[in-house]
Amino acid sequence: MWNTRIETVMSEVTCPGCGLSCDDLRLEMDNGQLKSLENGCALARSHYSSAFDTASKGAEIKGKGVSLEAALDYGAELLSSAHNPLFAGLATDVNGMRATLELADRCGASLDHMNGDALFRNIRVMQDSGWFTTTFTEARNRADLIVLGGKQWIDRFPRLIERILHPAESLFSPPDDRQFVLLGPWDAAALPDELQRLSPQVIPMQLEQLSDTASLLRGLIAGRPVNARSLGNSVGSQLEELAGQLKAARYSVVSWSAAELDFPHAELTIQNLVDLVKDLNRTTRSAALPLAGTLADTTSNQVCTWQLGYPLRTGLQRGYPEHDPILNRYQDLLKRQEADLLLWLSSLSPQAHPPATDAPTIVLGHPGMAFDNAPDLYIPTGIPGVDHPGHWYRGDSVCPLPLGQLRESALPAVSQVMTALNDKLQHFAGL
Amino acid sequence: MLIKLAGGKVYDPANNIDGEIRDIYIRDGAIVDTPPASEPVHRSYPLDGKIVMAGAIDLHTHIGGGKVNIARTMLPEDQRGHTRERTALTRSGGGHAAPSTLTAGYRYAEMGYTTCFEPAILPVNARQAHMEMADTPMLDTGGYAMLGSDELLLQLMAEGAEQETINDYVAWTLHASQCIGIKVVNPGGISAFKFNTRELDVDDSHPYYPITPRDIVRTLSRALTDLGVPHPLHVHASNLGVPGNFSSTLATMDAAEGLPIHLTHIQFHSYGAEGDRKFSSSAAQIVEAVNRQPNISMDIGQIMFGQTITVSGDTMRQHANHGHAHPNKWTCMDIECDAGCGVVPFRYRDQNFVNALQWAIGLELFLMMDDPWRVFLTTDHPNGAPFTSYPHLIRLLMDRSFRNDLLAQINPDAAASSHLGSLDREYSLYEIAIMTRAAPARILGLADRGHLRPGAIADITVYHPADNPEKMFEKPMLVFKDGQVVVEEGRITRPVKGSTQVVRPEYDRGIEKRLSRWFDRYHSIKLQNFRISDDEMAEGIGSPVSIHPCDRKRTA
Ligand code: SF4
Ligand SMILES: [Zn+2]
Repeated sequence: MWNTRIETVMSEVTCPGCGLSCDDLRLEMDNGQLKSLENGCALARSHYSSAFDTASKGAEIKGKGVSLEAALDYGAELLSSAHNPLFAGLATDVNGMRATLELADRCGASLDHMNGDALFRNIRVMQDSGWFTTTFTEARNRADLIVLGGKQWIDRFPRLIERILHPAESLFSPPDDRQFVLLGPWDAAALPDELQRLSPQVIPMQLEQLSDTASLLRGLIAGRPVNARSLGNSVGSQLEELAGQLKAARYSVVSWSAAELDFPHAELTIQNLVDLVKDLNRTTRSAALPLAGTLADTTSNQVCTWQLGYPLRTGLQRGYPEHDPILNRYQDLLKRQEADLLLWLSSLSPQAHPPATDAPTIVLGHPGMAFDNAPDLYIPTGIPGVDHPGHWYRGDSVCPLPLGQLRESALPAVSQVMTALNDKLQHFAGL
Repeated sequence: MLIKLAGGKVYDPANNIDGEIRDIYIRDGAIVDTPPASEPVHRSYPLDGKIVMAGAIDLHTHIGGGKVNIARTMLPEDQRGHTRERTALTRSGGGHAAPSTLTAGYRYAEMGYTTCFEPAILPVNARQAHMEMADTPMLDTGGYAMLGSDELLLQLMAEGAEQETINDYVAWTLHASQCIGIKVVNPGGISAFKFNTRELDVDDSHPYYPITPRDIVRTLSRALTDLGVPHPLHVHASNLGVPGNFSSTLATMDAAEGLPIHLTHIQFHSYGAEGDRKFSSSAAQIVEAVNRQPNISMDIGQIMFGQTITVSGDTMRQHANHGHAHPNKWTCMDIECDAGCGVVPFRYRDQNFVNALQWAIGLELFLMMDDPWRVFLTTDHPNGAPFTSYPHLIRLLMDRSFRNDLLAQINPDAAASSHLGSLDREYSLYEIAIMTRAAPARILGLADRGHLRPGAIADITVYHPADNPEKMFEKPMLVFKDGQVVVEEGRITRPVKGSTQVVRPEYDRGIEKRLSRWFDRYHSIKLQNFRISDDEMAEGIGSPVSIHPCDRKRTA
């Protein structure tokens, strides 16, 4: 739904609360206030309440209110005196990101997302080997064996079970016949109810063991002489059984959330999971379902990839894109003092604050942001899907969905602020 | 403002103009009749025998959509080796086989192209394809929506739905995805692969539905004919790349039962299985069949030697070929009960027997085909080669001795098993103008371009005449887009943005109820959010639609 007309009741609204992007929300508004929300989960509720709780507010220079015009002038001044600006955060919609990239090209900025670490655990696997993946509707209708690595997915993607893993109906794979296998730090005796109802097989392990687990499964499936019991007798026998299930499944799905795999070299874990899936496809069907999309990481990365030819963690200092998934990590650029200006973009969450840095800091952000240390410049921007329409990607990367507008707003969209800054810089350059 | 292009040598096959010296007038972005002598000309370009053609049209080039982004992600080395610096007028970017969108737009314009079509838009991914194309400057764009492995169509067909119902669904898809045509890729095969079927020939039954690829081709070509959609069903046939697949290609032609179909990248579908290596050219059989059946057109998908990346909706065949990946990495994806995609980097080598023969087969097809109105110049960018190799390809077609020199350098066994050396034909400029302008416009139903008649939009390319056609076509002297000069001497001088070309066949909107129910039960997106509106195209996606007429009203 791409709309600019606001009704009291808006249905089939797309939720940017997480990468699932459920588009069945129904919101009822009363005088610019949220009266009711249907179909959304707790995360959606908190997203929309924090949006509706904050009224419009004005720009601030070092914590002091100024006009938008003065803020833009100051922003343009900061940008034009920076040699190596860093544009990070990048939680915005498609048009916000498009305008950000145009400005980044002009300023020679580097780019990274606030979820860059999680994002690049997956991207580095794509860059090194490619992968074999599936999407939500496909998994919903086809999966007969679902292997979930880690345990945070249940909180990070609250409606995953209802919408994908165990839907009411399915084209090819009856939901009640599906097998679920949980690999991760679970306590089989204390599963959340909605998970317990699926009677999953629990193979408890530390996240760091996922990598070896995937390798062992590959070995077992290929019939190589591997010793599954090296991970303990009970886990070992369960893995032997799982290898058989994977081979016998018509369409297995292997899922993880890269954000949870927060330990060194986690990309190797993902590599092993991807290789497991690729191996299975020699004889049967299998696909990976990486869970992502939080705070628009998929969105800004997709736009960056088509406009610059590279994913994020790309710099434009030399007048053309240069990509380095390790060197251009925003935290490290700041630590190494290689950035002399931070432009932090966070239009979806009032909590996603800029990192502390000595570099001058511009924040284009959610109107609900409150700072302990006021940044040099703060321009509150519209929340995409609330204050202005926009587009946002679901975590499975293929489905950009329209975000409708829910209230009248004086807040400028990120795309408008970026375009205004770009125009001012162009003017400085005398073009 | 009246603009005059004075004294150019005009090649305008749609109007039977073959290299005549003519003046062309432009007003408000369109070509106009010769005005009365009294009317002042505001700007005159003395062309003095320079070659003038309509802006070129590429009817099959993968420039947008998720699979191209996967290709970009997988090949950072492709970007690194081909950077494009920012200028005062243009944005930075890069890439060769999978260029960034901005770079793709600039390069196309710098070669005199003004309109391009993305041939494989998954309806569920249509927003992204249109966003990427909106960020491909200089060009008008459009796309073909993929049907034929979507579970909804297969289910409708399996249930024996009326042709009328299918027609409504096809029309709805064109509207919802903002496309100008329908493409079928390995009919039924992308879906069959999800059921672990690895091969599906034209008369094989789908593993789940009791229907065959033949049924799908027939049903979809019938639908487009009934709906009056100008572009015939765009067919990527069964068994791509498989030795001996020419018989599947002939069977696919047959499946159309005389209705119009367009066979795309036919080079990849013209293989025999003769000889010591069980791989041979069947170009002669294919061309004979196409020459004989006027309902059939084709584009070639010529390969060129070097590194590229193959991107396709045909997961079944891409997965089967992943062992040939160079560098050794590959991606496949099953998508939304809609279709899929496979991305496999590839290096074609001139000393490799198979690759060398593929190169020769493509040229054989071009040179043996009698009617230039039914054959189109493509490399299936980037699958056969990046689109930037078009000038080189044109020289291969126009210059027999150049062609034979290169033939002498490829794998000798491949050269020996090809007829290429015996083909004397040299394409004329007039024929090149047919293949790259007049014919694509005609087959897509674009009355407003591809020719230089008054009323056409003023998309015009002016070339310096040269003995070497490669030199001539790689660097036009002037390119006009909508009447403005946008390229001079092969350099962008004015960045512009284009529009999206669509058709809007009439249909019974009652179908939406049925579709909506299906979406609610099985899909993870609501029908309402699947569909892209005109406002969304213009304001959100950034490329307003331009609607082209359908031939006739729906038959009751
Ligand atoms: S699961 Fe995610 S997208 Fe769905 S309603 Fe909850 S927060 Fe929103
Ligand atoms: Zn193609």
